[in-house]
Amino acid sequence: MASTMALPNRRSRLGASKATVYAGLIGLMALSMLMSLTLGYKIYSLDQVFGALFAHDGSETAVVIAGLRLPRALIAPLTGAALGMAGVIVQTLSRNRIASPDTLGLNGGASLAVVVGSVVFGVQSLAGLSLAAAFGAFITSIVVFGVAASAGGLSPLKIVLVGVTFASLSHALVEVILTSNEAQLQQLLFWLSGAFVDRPISLFYNGLPVVLVGAVLGIGLSRALDALQADDSTAAGLGVPLAAVRGVAFLAVALLTGAAVSMAGPVAFVGLVVPHAARRLVGLRHIHQLPAAALFGAVYTTLADVAARFVIYPVEAPVGAITAVVGAVVLLVLLARRAA
Amino acid sequence: MSLVMDRASAQSGLGIGAIVLIVFALFVLLCLAGIGFGSTWISFDKVAHVIFGGGEKSERLVVLQLRMPRVMAAAIAGAAIAFSGYLLQRITRNELASPGVLGVVDGAALGVVLFLALYSNESNALTVPVAWQPLAAAIGALAAITLVFILSGRQASSAIRLILFGIAVAAVAKALTTIFMLIGPIYQAAQAARWLAGSVNAIGWGEIQIMAWALLPVVAIAGLLARELPPADLDDVSSRSIGLNLPVYRVAVFAVAALLTAIAVAFVGGVGFIGLIAPHLARLLVGRARFAGIVTSMMLGAMMLVGADLLVRVAFAPTEVPAGTVTAIVGAPYFLFLLMRKDKTNG
Repeated sequence: MASTMALPNRRSRLGASKATVYAGLIGLMALSMLMSLTLGYKIYSLDQVFGALFAHDGSETAVVIAGLRLPRALIAPLTGAALGMAGVIVQTLSRNRIASPDTLGLNGGASLAVVVGSVVFGVQSLAGLSLAAAFGAFITSIVVFGVAASAGGLSPLKIVLVGVTFASLSHALVEVILTSNEAQLQQLLFWLSGAFVDRPISLFYNGLPVVLVGAVLGIGLSRALDALQADDSTAAGLGVPLAAVRGVAFLAVALLTGAAVSMAGPVAFVGLVVPHAARRLVGLRHIHQLPAAALFGAVYTTLADVAARFVIYPVEAPVGAITAVVGAVVLLVLLARRAA
Repeated sequence: MSLVMDRASAQSGLGIGAIVLIVFALFVLLCLAGIGFGSTWISFDKVAHVIFGGGEKSERLVVLQLRMPRVMAAAIAGAAIAFSGYLLQRITRNELASPGVLGVVDGAALGVVLFLALYSNESNALTVPVAWQPLAAAIGALAAITLVFILSGRQASSAIRLILFGIAVAAVAKALTTIFMLIGPIYQAAQAARWLAGSVNAIGWGEIQIMAWALLPVVAIAGLLARELPPADLDDVSSRSIGLNLPVYRVAVFAVAALLTAIAVAFVGGVGFIGLIAPHLARLLVGRARFAGIVTSMMLGAMMLVGADLLVRVAFAPTEVPAGTVTAIVGAPYFLFLLMRKDKTNG
């Protein structure tokens, strides 16, 4: 406690106490999930929603709500929470506020692993593909950090260039594999579109434990991550075993990113945007940053998913395109604010 | 080891001339191979025969209507993108600069997708001549690079800021492209996606003509501008003292580079990494010599795209893997190598 970390534990910049922030975020999350259940091509009443969820009568309305809306309303927040927490950890590890699973190419690596696992190794089960996604994210994170570090430090320019390059590399490889195996195209586009539409609910049950393990690892590391926000020698002076902490943190990021990609495909820039909001709300300590990022990520992604149904109504936009636009604009603002 | 020799030989004008000639010979060979290889092999002498007006009818059809357009389009587009990359790397004094990282490629792609979305009818046919497509690409590319410039603000001379903002602008353009592909009547999304990845498999003589005519004046202006390229280590103040208005000149070079890439992208799609690697390899081969550098960059860029197209035709037939994937798969590791090496030498 008296670990002499000079991190501000004061009230957040918005002046609200942390309890209020958490209560507000949880309320917003519940609200956004309700919106996700009721709003869409057809708008249902709350009565219909509750009826479908708790007294399924086999009517068409009930089937749509329980079979189509409910998976989205569960998968979207879980994905957002996972990406939000992964973003926090990645930004701390790289000491870089524009790092994220996307800018580091981790989403791309996870997608590539899913495609390779499915096409080359014939993996069919959802669990197997989730594992492949986490594995891809893990390998990519190690390679990207390795390359960026050996390229003379993790400056914003370096890390973004390495990440963008990896993203386009994995994109090209995915493209090659997909075009030369057209039979599986349909099935794989499912993974690569970055959307919550038509996801079976089994994906949620499959992703939940992985996200929970990642979250527990991350929160367990929160003291060490706090120390890592300074520089290596400070952290080492505080008794943080650097290599071990980094290793476990990579694992947490890989699990979180992999779970998110396996549920929704690459939903762009969530991991970039969310940590900034979380820091503004609850400050720099990871014990608060991580839960706040999880909650805010859940709200953000769910609302983006709801918006995706109306942007080009009656057609659905992929939610990944919406978060990409928002995220890219946020990236611009971040760059403009702090001269890189 | 060969790099050391090349650097040494680059000192003498004779050496440079020899290297340029060798690259030219390889370029011609690769183009002939590009025409010869395919589902049926046509030997070099038959290819030459056809080009000079002879040959059997079936051979003439394959060579003149199917293969030559691909090779020509790849060569022209590759050369234009490489020239663009050469200008950008010289003007930013940063070998990591390229049309891709400065947002030009994605800006041009956004322009084209918007154009296709706005001017297509229900049956996906264009309602205006395709000749307007490069204009749309040019507007998109110029808008992107202007945005990068404005955002970089007064430090627009800092290559790092330009590149960071370029990447961010590219991300915005990419996201918007995805959305417009869905909104617009371009329902052959797979087709559009393939074009975005960069390929020359559907190009015909008509498009090549438009591309060549559009590029001609731009290349001429770029060539004139390139004559004024200042020494690599000249800053704003000292360039003013030798009578060069660097800020204005810089804007002109950026605009021309954007146009070169835009016109190529309009027809062959978002081919990655050529604008980055070709000028870099050229510098390894011929050093800092200006004219030789430009010519070598262009030939290398052309060779990269012709070679990539040849590879996807031979290795992945009968499926049409976009040539842009090959340039990305080769280019990305090279770029990473460049990133790592750069800081080791610069400390």
